[in-house]
Amino acid sequence: MVKHYRPPGKKKEGNAARYITRSQAVKHLQVTLPLFRRLCILKGVFPREPKKKMKGNHHTYYHVKDIAFLQHEPLLEIFRDKRAYEKKIKKAESKKNPDLANRLRTRIPTYKLDRIIRERYPKFVDALRDLDDCLTMVHLFATLPALEREKLEVERIHNCRRLSHEWQAYISRSHKLRKVFISVKGIYYQHVEIIFVDGLYIFVLYVLFKAEVEGQKVTWLTPHALQQVLPDDDVDFNVMLTFVEVYETLLTFVNYHLYHSINVKYPPILDPGLEALAADLYALSRYFDASSRTPVVDPHDPSIFGSEQVETQQKGTPPDESELRLAQLQHQLPSNEPGALMRLVEDVTDEDEEDEDTVECKKLFKDLKLFLSREVPRESLLFVIPAFGGVVSWEGEGAPFKEADQSITHQIVDRPTQGHIFLSREYIQPQWVYDCVNARIILPTESYMVGRVPPPHLSPFVDNDAEGYVPEYAETIKRLQSAARNEVLPLPGIGKEDLEDPQKLLVEGIIDRAEANEAAERKRKMILEQNRYLDELKMEVIGTTTSDDKQSISKEMEAREASDPDIQRIVQDHANMSKVVMSRNKRKLYEAMEIGKKRKQSHVDLLKERKRKIAAAQKSVES
Amino acid sequence: MDFSGFSEEIYLSFAISILLLLLVLESPWSNSASWLPLDFCLPTLPERRPALMGDSEVEPGSGQHQKLCFLGGCSGESLSESEASQSGSSGDESNSYRALPTQRTMMAWTTVMVKKIKVMALNNEGVEESDSSEDEVAPRNTIGDVPLEWYKDETHIGYDLAGKKIKKKERQDKLDSFLASADDSKNWLKVYDEYNDEEVEVTRQELKLVRRLLKGKAPHADFDPYASYVDWFKWDDAKHPLSNAPEPKRRFIPSKWESKKVVKLVRAIRLGLIKFDKPKEEQRFYPLWGDDSSSAEKANHLAYIPAPKPKLPGHEESYNPSLEYIPTQEEINSYQLMYDEDRPKFIPKRYTSLRSIPAYDNGVKDVFERCLDLYLCPRVRKKRINIDPESLKPKLPSRKDLKPYPVTCYLEYKGHKDAVMSISVEASGQWIASGSLDGTVRIWEVETGRCLRVWDIGEAVKSVAWNPLNELPVLAVSAGRDVLLLNTGFGDDEEQKKIRELLRVETPQAPDDSDNKGPVVSWLQDDKHDGIRLRHFKTVSSVEWHRKGDYFSTVMPADILLPLSKKHTQRIPFKLHGLPVSAVFHPTRSIFFVSTKKNVRVYDLWQQKFIKKLETGLREVSCIAVHPGGDNVIVGSREGKLCWFDMDLSSQPYRILKCHPKDLTNVAFHRSYPLFASCSEDCTAYVFHGTVYSDLNQNPLIVPLEILRGHTSSNGRGESFSTPSSYSLCWHLISFFCYGVMDCKFHPRQPWLFTAGADSVIKLYCH
Repeated sequence: MVKHYRPPGKKKEGNAARYITRSQAVKHLQVTLPLFRRLCILKGVFPREPKKKMKGNHHTYYHVKDIAFLQHEPLLEIFRDKRAYEKKIKKAESKKNPDLANRLRTRIPTYKLDRIIRERYPKFVDALRDLDDCLTMVHLFATLPALEREKLEVERIHNCRRLSHEWQAYISRSHKLRKVFISVKGIYYQHVEIIFVDGLYIFVLYVLFKAEVEGQKVTWLTPHALQQVLPDDDVDFNVMLTFVEVYETLLTFVNYHLYHSINVKYPPILDPGLEALAADLYALSRYFDASSRTPVVDPHDPSIFGSEQVETQQKGTPPDESELRLAQLQHQLPSNEPGALMRLVEDVTDEDEEDEDTVECKKLFKDLKLFLSREVPRESLLFVIPAFGGVVSWEGEGAPFKEADQSITHQIVDRPTQGHIFLSREYIQPQWVYDCVNARIILPTESYMVGRVPPPHLSPFVDNDAEGYVPEYAETIKRLQSAARNEVLPLPGIGKEDLEDPQKLLVEGIIDRAEANEAAERKRKMILEQNRYLDELKMEVIGTTTSDDKQSISKEMEAREASDPDIQRIVQDHANMSKVVMSRNKRKLYEAMEIGKKRKQSHVDLLKERKRKIAAAQKSVES
Repeated sequence: MDFSGFSEEIYLSFAISILLLLLVLESPWSNSASWLPLDFCLPTLPERRPALMGDSEVEPGSGQHQKLCFLGGCSGESLSESEASQSGSSGDESNSYRALPTQRTMMAWTTVMVKKIKVMALNNEGVEESDSSEDEVAPRNTIGDVPLEWYKDETHIGYDLAGKKIKKKERQDKLDSFLASADDSKNWLKVYDEYNDEEVEVTRQELKLVRRLLKGKAPHADFDPYASYVDWFKWDDAKHPLSNAPEPKRRFIPSKWESKKVVKLVRAIRLGLIKFDKPKEEQRFYPLWGDDSSSAEKANHLAYIPAPKPKLPGHEESYNPSLEYIPTQEEINSYQLMYDEDRPKFIPKRYTSLRSIPAYDNGVKDVFERCLDLYLCPRVRKKRINIDPESLKPKLPSRKDLKPYPVTCYLEYKGHKDAVMSISVEASGQWIASGSLDGTVRIWEVETGRCLRVWDIGEAVKSVAWNPLNELPVLAVSAGRDVLLLNTGFGDDEEQKKIRELLRVETPQAPDDSDNKGPVVSWLQDDKHDGIRLRHFKTVSSVEWHRKGDYFSTVMPADILLPLSKKHTQRIPFKLHGLPVSAVFHPTRSIFFVSTKKNVRVYDLWQQKFIKKLETGLREVSCIAVHPGGDNVIVGSREGKLCWFDMDLSSQPYRILKCHPKDLTNVAFHRSYPLFASCSEDCTAYVFHGTVYSDLNQNPLIVPLEILRGHTSSNGRGESFSTPSSYSLCWHLISFFCYGVMDCKFHPRQPWLFTAGADSVIKLYCH
């Protein structure tokens, strides 16, 4: 028989064979539509876009392989069993047999999703890549109220809360937080997870290489600590709950992995007292301290006990002395706990594995001791400040230190006026912390004082240069940054150990970078100059040609004036010239890009226009 | 008798039966059966009954007795109805009635009940008229047992026997009723009977009943709810039990079905189907990804397409954005006019402190929508080109290296009074001829711009062409239906002599070679201009010379002719598919190119056969030019496209250049420099570099060099110029459609370009 012969209507090929519509899939799997959706969510199966839609545009298409994948899923069988049980329970209840119903209820089949997680994310990197939505969702659910009507159970919400705190504690601990942004919707955080692929050991002449995969950026949104607005009808909580189910499992295992990567046991056991005070994050950090104190430290490190003794007896000499003190302040470890500071040894050993960025972040708030007033969003700040190496306390029970502590350098206040003032500290608004974090320098505090309107809070996610518009405050920050970098030049008085310090190298790197930036800037200016010169030349050339035409001087002048649009035209001509030779597809693409560019430009123009108007209005008010 | 077995519901039913009793008491004349269907009925009654019966099943004797006791009591009371004494109230009733409502509610309830009872009692009298006793009072109301609200708005409540309306009483207003209650000490005993619309006074007896009920006692004092049981049946002398049936076997053996059920359960427990207090499973934590090294396994399913990440927030989403990010009120208002999908979803707003941020309304909704996107949106991997648009442009060789080429306008030749339709450069490059719509042909000196000679043809000149031979300075001019061969008067005497001889025609040349048709062209001597006039039967659009100067071709909308300079005319012997637009000779060989609106056809004139067809793919071809090498052709079209054909390569265009936004009017190749040009109605002329390599493997190099501007779009007739009356309307129309640059020609030796504009100016562009 001919290979491609097929009786009409018997077998399909191509897109028709590869894709089926959703209703076909549902029929094929013999499940109900809600169950199908649930399966899709759990398994991460999504519709695909066939090149040719054989059933029309108004259908969703699934790949046949995806559906087969669902069909062979053991979960499907479990769901069927569950359904059977539900029927039995219903029957028992309607026959007024509560005993049986209860007994059946305890024996409803359950399922676990860890296998599915493993299947969906074969590698840890894959899991990290999809973590954005997971974190956003978990953080949202952590703030929702338990609602019986929507089947929002208390346990689920508590679990979400716990998971989110665990995640934040890890990020804070490992100093991997990079950017924070307060928007109207909530607070965005971005962290970078750098993954070392251990599998890639290459032995060449006994040299061990460790390949570094690029940092995976994870951004998530936490709602503001306010009562969430629950929409009435246009939100289907069943769908969300299914997602949360997956995300909870995923985040649990991710947390497990991450905790184990820094040698901390998971799940953490927290101090119930602190938990009761809703200071979960602090409780977690305490847990970190406690767990890193015990056995996981490298046994061959000789300085474990030594450093502690040094610390207790004399202050000053050891390299990690300041860190020791810092930690002592931060965590207010009770004196009756023996060996409380041992965890720091681990930090020291970790140091060489951390990249420049992390080191920079770790040192940002290093010498600062902050205190939060009771009206500021505590959870966020307790997360952010330790993540950048700061020491922080708050007003309330269980806090590491009280407001009266004289060593506090900054107090974060969010009220119109501050009554009692300690002269030794600065009173600032919370935005200062976030702006410092994004700018990676300690910003001057004048404009963030209590009672003032703080400077605009800018998004750290925007590339201003690519956008084409740089807000004024961004420029100010840039200037401050470059100033700060110049200051970090090595001072002569600093001892030898500083030279060996990785931070020193980092500083050099920064200087190099700054120089490179400057050079680039100079180059760009030169190019600009050149262009201007060329333009002028062109203008002259055109001026002369028009004057060649035996015209009077006045006309020549006119021509000079009129030559301005001519130059534009020439530039335009030059741009158009190569467009002529382009192939049609490329030309179309180019034109589309031009349209996009134009749109962007119009947005920038709008911003500039508004800014000009605002400035004009201010001027008129002043005068 | 086991009273502790009585549950509360029994007491409830107790109370209900007491009420029934009360009714019975109220109307001793009626039997209780007639009472029951009245609308007074408590819903609990039928439900509770089975429980009673269930109890009685356990101990059949006692339940029966209880019932009997009730009935007995009831009937006993009804007998002693006249007795008003209530002395013997039974002791521990308070205990037994604890399940009843509290005193207060009971009171209210009772008053209502009393009213109802009264009403019903009265009612009953009406209903039971048939077996009425002597002291019966007929109800006033005669409307019957219908809802009273039907008579709400009426003034009467039925009719009496005489057929007169029974009037309703005037209702007392509040004040009156209050006064009455103040005056009359017995007013509190009065109850308003709505049905009969009258007031009824409660008697002492009834009052007592009510009081007892309020206390939660049986209405009659004599009733003893716990009277000792009297077995009415006399068992003493009975020989036989009531039932003679033997005791069944099942009473003595264990139940089979129970044991079966037990066995089943035991089996299920053994098999593990039933598990008692199964411990709730805790989630187990373990390193799911191991040490990540083993996870090099390949997934055996389809490639996973990760969902696109949500867009990161910009400056405008900040809680405290820069002021310029906040739209003004007018802008916000203008959003209302936009379509829904264009309208910005998010309107930036500024809060001056962190504490003033309100809760975000759409937080849950946003996340939900993201969820929907994740599982409902079809995903497809799309290549997003993230490149600089400039990198799309092809790398062109530097234009400096391709010099010389015409760049700037050097000279203008002014003199024509209407659009210059055509120009032609003399072979030596010293002179140019131009034909214009004003009906003149002019010859200009190239270097000075001096107009040397003017012929007034009288008709709009469409095309002029110099003879390519140096020694034969003859000008072919097409105007209307005529083609004129003009003697320019250049050259020395010998040449002039030759030309004059050539341009003489014997007038009677009627019998043409081609006798199958009428004379297509008639050769006439034109004395006025000292030349030959060739009259065609249709208007001629262009004239083209053969390279040897011996032949020339003219193009008519209908056909192509090939007149010989030996005064022979030949229509080309091929079939054209479509109207010819323009035609050119091959520069070296005897090949002839004819372009129709769609295609270009190539013919061999020597062998008289069709060689190939060049498929332009254009909508309407307007002009054609051949590279001096002869292997490359450019074709211009009315949609502004220019096609370069490499004849050796294929019959498809090698490259299509879309350069002009409007119609192309003409294209031209330079004879010696690798240059070609196109001119268009958009007032521009493009100069291109086009190198053709002798190596066949190398494709021609085409580089756009310069855009030449200078012509204006107005056609040459200024306001001052008045149209001569000799011009027909047709010429108006033609000139009306003339825009921009009408013709372009290269200088034969220099890299100069002449352009003829519809603004009546000829320009010379030099390098």
